This record gives sequence, structure tokens and C-alpha cells, in this order.
Amino acid sequence: MTVRLDIDGAIVLEGVCPVEDAEPLQRLLLQHREAAVDWRACDAAHTAVLQVLLVAKPSIKGPARATFLQDFILPALARHESLTATEESLPLGDGGR
Amino acid sequence: MNEFLKQFLIEGRELVEQATEDLLALEEAPDNRAELDNVFRGFHTLKGLAGIVEFAAMSRVLHAAEDRLAAVRSGERSVTGELVTDLLFSLDQVAQWLDELEREDRLPMVPDAAAAALVARFQTTAPETPATTAMVRTEQADWIEGLLSDHPQGREQGGVAVRYRPEPDCFFRHIDPVALIAQLPDLRAIRLVPNDPWPPLQELDPFACNLTVTALTGGTLGQVADQLHGVAGRVEIQALDPARSWRPTALSPEAMAILEEQLLLVSDPAEEGFDGRLGSAGRISTNVLRYMGWAAEAQKLQHGLDKSLALGRAEPFAGVLRQLLSRGSDEAAAIEPDKLSFLRSDEIAVRALRVEVERIDALVRLAGELTVAKNALGHVSRLAKEGATPETIATLLSDQYALLDRCVQQLQHSLLGIRLVPMRHVFRRFPKLVREMAAHLGKSARLVTEGAATEVDKAVVDALSEPLLHVLRNAVDHGIEPTMQRAASGKSAVATVWLRAARDGEQIVVEVEDDGAGIDTAELRRVAEARGIAAADEIAAMTQDEITELIFVPGLSTAASVSDVSGRGVGMDAVRSAIARLGGQVEVETRPGAGTRVRFRVPFTVLMSQVLTLEAGGQVFGIPMEIVVETVRLPRDRIMRVGAAEAFVLRNRTIPLINLPHALGLARDPLDDSYAQVVITAGAGQFAAFEVDRFGDHLEIMLKPVDGLLSGLPGIAGTTLLGDGRVLIVLDIPELLN
Repeated sequence: MTVRLDIDGAIVLEGVCPVEDAEPLQRLLLQHREAAVDWRACDAAHTAVLQVLLVAKPSIKGPARATFLQDFILPALARHESLTATEESLPLGDGGR
Repeated sequence: MNEFLKQFLIEGRELVEQATEDLLALEEAPDNRAELDNVFRGFHTLKGLAGIVEFAAMSRVLHAAEDRLAAVRSGERSVTGELVTDLLFSLDQVAQWLDELEREDRLPMVPDAAAAALVARFQTTAPETPATTAMVRTEQADWIEGLLSDHPQGREQGGVAVRYRPEPDCFFRHIDPVALIAQLPDLRAIRLVPNDPWPPLQELDPFACNLTVTALTGGTLGQVADQLHGVAGRVEIQALDPARSWRPTALSPEAMAILEEQLLLVSDPAEEGFDGRLGSAGRISTNVLRYMGWAAEAQKLQHGLDKSLALGRAEPFAGVLRQLLSRGSDEAAAIEPDKLSFLRSDEIAVRALRVEVERIDALVRLAGELTVAKNALGHVSRLAKEGATPETIATLLSDQYALLDRCVQQLQHSLLGIRLVPMRHVFRRFPKLVREMAAHLGKSARLVTEGAATEVDKAVVDALSEPLLHVLRNAVDHGIEPTMQRAASGKSAVATVWLRAARDGEQIVVEVEDDGAGIDTAELRRVAEARGIAAADEIAAMTQDEITELIFVPGLSTAASVSDVSGRGVGMDAVRSAIARLGGQVEVETRPGAGTRVRFRVPFTVLMSQVLTLEAGGQVFGIPMEIVVETVRLPRDRIMRVGAAEAFVLRNRTIPLINLPHALGLARDPLDDSYAQVVITAGAGQFAAFEVDRFGDHLEIMLKPVDGLLSGLPGIAGTTLLGDGRVLIVLDIPELLN
């Protein structure tokens, strides 16, 4: 498994995360709203996976092993957060629990 | 070459031809939505085809072209001469690649830079009006500005901006958009923007892509396009380097033509409404210059215009304009000669025939009927063996003969139908050639084609392309006057060349007409005399028509200068002999100051000919029916000796008589001494009569051109097999007369 829940409660992305990882990642993020995503062992992630991260906006444990993720995706995640800050006020938290 | 590539070659060529034609139609009617859709569809299909065989460079170029066309369709851009020229150029390039594929038996290796240069033609061409400029800029600003705000250095560094809008279902097609962008060389920034606002996480469909990826790279346009060519349909690429803004080195023929018109407009200050005309000419001229990227020149012209308007005089505005025009044409003339490779005539031949299924079906049906006829013959032969009466056999045989006759006729007809192709196949390349030739010579000309749908045997169409090209070159080079001279004689700055085809009985008439200066017959007389073509008094006695005919004499040219478009003006003799080889004739008509018309008459098909068979010296010969005027039984006492030759007078016309067996070096049969069997022919503008031993039948034959040992023999048009197995030699009478 390239996506799993770690003992300390973090969601870990490891190696090359394929498109199939998007769904388990989404599920884990829905189940563990506050969990951080640890991508320190991640070499690459499919766009589908990144899309889940963009929507969930978890806190990230880095740096990512892949410099591409670290240099280009991390800022994109951060910026996306600020761009869609208004969506934070939507009652999505209640719907999830 | 594998079947796949073969098919690609055939279809690619067809699509290129079709797209060229559609494009020219669009140019004639820029607002015609249907034409625009046709052109768009053509480019789209061609691009798809390139994708199938994985010809990346072709995909890229056509994709860029398609994008431009899409912008036209959405109303962001309009159809301009510039755009048409660029699109034609790209099609021409594709045609050259296809030629290379055929030659080299593999997809051409197209250097990155070459493809990128073509792509750039579509991407960096300045928009036509300031209004659309603003619109396009704001449209681009959205995503490019977004990128640059993340990566401000991009403004100074330049680079290439990419916007990739993957399809929502791209994940299912194993596409990973971000990974594709990640592979771009020298990546500098990435933005991931949702197309629709993100839903809450629990409602997110993780397998639907809702992202637009924009990126900034330091790679070249070519590298980026290559990397993304697999998803080319969803990608926009924009070079950001401001220093790369495009500026043509020469004014386009269209621009020149427009500027010339403006110059004419202000030529007469005495005329009413001069100020208004000056103002509008000024506005149009400066717009044209700005559009062509000549901003500094536009500025200069504007100053001139302001002064002119203040003074109420054409100068200095007209002076500045004239100066620009001469510069524009100088630079146009400075195009490298190798750019003229488009003048190769071999490209315009029809290479493959495409046959409609219906025509093939008709042949299949015929094959069935022939089988029936064959079986019936077997039946007749069985009956004959079993002792049926000769009368029964004869009746059955003549029935079967009638059936077979009908089948064979239909077969011939169907086969000839297959060989028929519309003249369009040769015509379609010419509008562009004429335009380019004219531009190269600093003139502007348009070609109007008529009768392109006229169907002609493929062999004739092929054989016509080169002579036509030659005559068109002559029309543009020698026929059409320089623009200034045209203006002086009150003609429109853009010259017109007409190319017409029409069926006339068993012949096809193809005409090239120009509205140029006509042939300078006085000069022709002078040159003919100087070159010793004929004695001075003979030349003086010649009529205008006879003088005009002199252009067909080898080595005669009145062109003062030698240009690389039509060379030294020699070649009309070559044209005449090429047409004669087809069994046709060339006529030329000229009206001083009004233009020249060259007319080809060629047989509709080279294959089927009506011949009259005749015997001479114990051998059977055929002569083509189309040159036979009549056959007469001539009393010998009507034949007069004229020196060593013979002649007779028929209806007040003296006709030379040639003894055919003698002329062919055969022994003459002493048959009837009181009458001579004579066939009168008309060919190459003269009557001639041939004495033969006796006449045979009219035959419709499939004429086979002579090859092998016989091909060198003069006076033979071709051969065919007679029913009794003898070879019928069909004589080429005009050649015999020479």
C-alpha cells in the first residue's frame, strides 16, 4: 500500500502513489479529519491524489522526497487554501461526522 | 512502406488538396460560416491522421493551425489574407512531408526548430485590429498573469507559458496531467486551478479531473509542444519573450495591394472630397502597417498624413507611402531563390486514383454478365458439336455477340469513367502558385478558376499540369505589368488571371487568360528579325496573328529581363510540343493593353479514339477520325503536278496531295488508275490529302501509346489489335506532314 494510516495518526504517502490511491486517501481523510499527510517518503503522486489533497487541505508533514512535490505542489496546496478560504465556512465538518 | 503509412499518404494528400481548396474558397468569402467549418474540419481531420501515425511535428503544426481557426470560429479573430497565407504554407509543408515520406519510405525527421517555427506562425501573428488585440490580451492575461504573479521573474526571463485543460475523464485514459507538466524542461512555476468550485471532500469524485494546470517553463516552444503533443488538443502554449514578437521582413502582397490602392485614392487632389479620401487612405494605410508589425513606419506615415491633411495636398503622405511600397517590394524581391521550390511542377501531378465504390460495383456486375456470356458461348459450342444446324448456331452466336458487345462497351465506359478526374486536381494548386509568383515579382495577382469540375482522363490531367504551369508563369511574369504601370493605365492594382476548363465535344478546352499588357508584337517583330527567324520583308508582311504565333518558335523571348520565375521566356515551344503529344493544339490570342489568352485544346481522353482504317501499300493503317474532313474518289485528271509534289482543287481550295504508300516507303498497289482514293485531313491549321489504296471501317479503339523499339518512329500515334489479330498502326498525320 502506498497510502496508509500510520500508528501515530498520520496518513502516509509512500513511493509512487498511483491513481488508485485517490479513493483510499479520500476515505482516510474523511475518517480522520485532523490527520496530517506525511509525504516524506513520497516519490510521486498522481494528479487524482493531488486533487484529493487540494480539496481536503490537510496539514502536510514534509519535506516530500520528490523535489517536484516539495517545490511546486506544496506552494500550490498552500495557495489553493488561501484562494478558497471562504469554503472553509461551509458546514462540511458536520456532514462528515 | 506498410499499409498503414500508405493509407496515410493517400488520405493525407487528399485532405491537403481538399483543405487547400476550401481555404481558397474561404478567402473568397471570409464571412461564409460553412466554408470556415469546412476548413476547420479539414485541418482537424489531418491533425487526427497525423496523430494516428504518430507524426508529432505534423500534429503540432496542424494543431496550432486548428487553434487559430478555432479562434476565428469563436469570433475572436477574423479571416485575413495573412492567416490564409500561413495556413496554405502549413499545408504546403505537410505536402512536402508527405512527399518525403513517399521518397524515403519513413516518416520524415522534422527538426524541432522547423516545426516550432511553423507553430509560431500561428501563435505570434499580431491580431488584426486594436480592438481584438485588447480582447485577446485580457483573455490571455487571466492565466498568464496568474502565473507571472507567482513567478515575477518570468516577466524578465521570458520563457514559455502553458495551459493544459485535461478532460474530466482523463484519469481513465491513463493520463496524469500533473506528471506530464512535471516532465517539462526547466519548470519554473505551476498553478493548479479548479475548473468548477471544489465540492466538499465527501462529494468529490476522485476520478474526475477538475483541474486546469498552468505552468511556466524555460524550455523552448518546440520542446514544450513535443512533450505535450499527446494531449495537444487540450494545451495552449504561449512564448513570453517580448523580444520574439513577430515582424515580417516584407510586406505581404495583400498589404502591398491595399497600400497601392490608397496611393491611387489620393492621386488626384483636384477631385471632390479629397480631404475625406486622404483621411480614409491614411487610416487604412497606417492600420495595414500596424497589422504587419511595421509600427515605426506606421508612425512615420501618420506624421506624413497629419501634414498632408493640414496642407490639403497628397504630399508628403503619398511620398512616404511610395517609399514604403518600394521598400516592401525590395524586401519581397530579396527572398532567397530556394524559397521558390514551390514551383516544382512534379508536385502537381495526380498520383493515385480514388475510385467510388459504385464504380467498382458496376465493374463487378459487368464481370458477372461477362461470365454469363462466356457460359452461353460454351453452350453454343456444345450445340455445334452435337450437330445443331448452322442457322441455329449463327442465331445463337449473333445473340451472344450482341450481349458481349454491350458488356464490352459498358466495360470500356466504366473503366474510362474510373480514369476520369476533375480538372480541380491540377487547378487547386495554381491559385497559391500565382499568388506567390506574383508576390515574388513584386506584383499582385489573383487567379480565378472556372470549370474545375470538368472531368478529364487522368492521363490528360497529369500531362496538362506542366504546360499550364508554364503558361501561368508567363502570364504572371511577362503578361502582367508592374503594379505602377497598371495604375498608370487605369487598371486595378491586383491583376486577374483566369484559368478555365470546359468540355467541347470530344475535346477539352483549357484557357489561361490575363488582363495584362498583351504581347508586344512590335518587339516580337524586332526580335524575330534580330535573331534571324525570318527575313525582314517576310516579317514585315506577317499579320498580327502570324507574328503572335512566333512566340512558339524556340528561343524567342521579348522579356527584357530574365527572372527566376519564368526563366528566359523560352518554353512556349515546349508547351506546344507537350500539348501536341497529347494530340492537342495551342492557340494564342492577344489584345494590346488588354491581355493575352492561351488556349489548349486536347482530346477528352487519350485512350478511346475513333479511327478510320485504310489500306496503303498492302498494310492497314488507322487515322484519327477527328482530323478526317472527308473522303473523296478523285478523278486522276484533277490531280495537278506542282513541282515535285501533287495537289488538286476541291471547292476552290488547293489541297496538297500526298501519296501515303510513298510517304511511308511502301510499294504502291496499281489498283484503279482512273480514280484516286483520297482522304482529306485538317490538322495543325492546314488541309492535306492522302492518297490510299482503299478505305476500311470506322473503329472505336483503345489506342496504346507506342513504346519500346517503335517509340522512336515518327508519324505513329499508337497501335491497337484488330479482330483478326493484326496490329493496326494509327498514324499521327500532323507529324507526318512535318
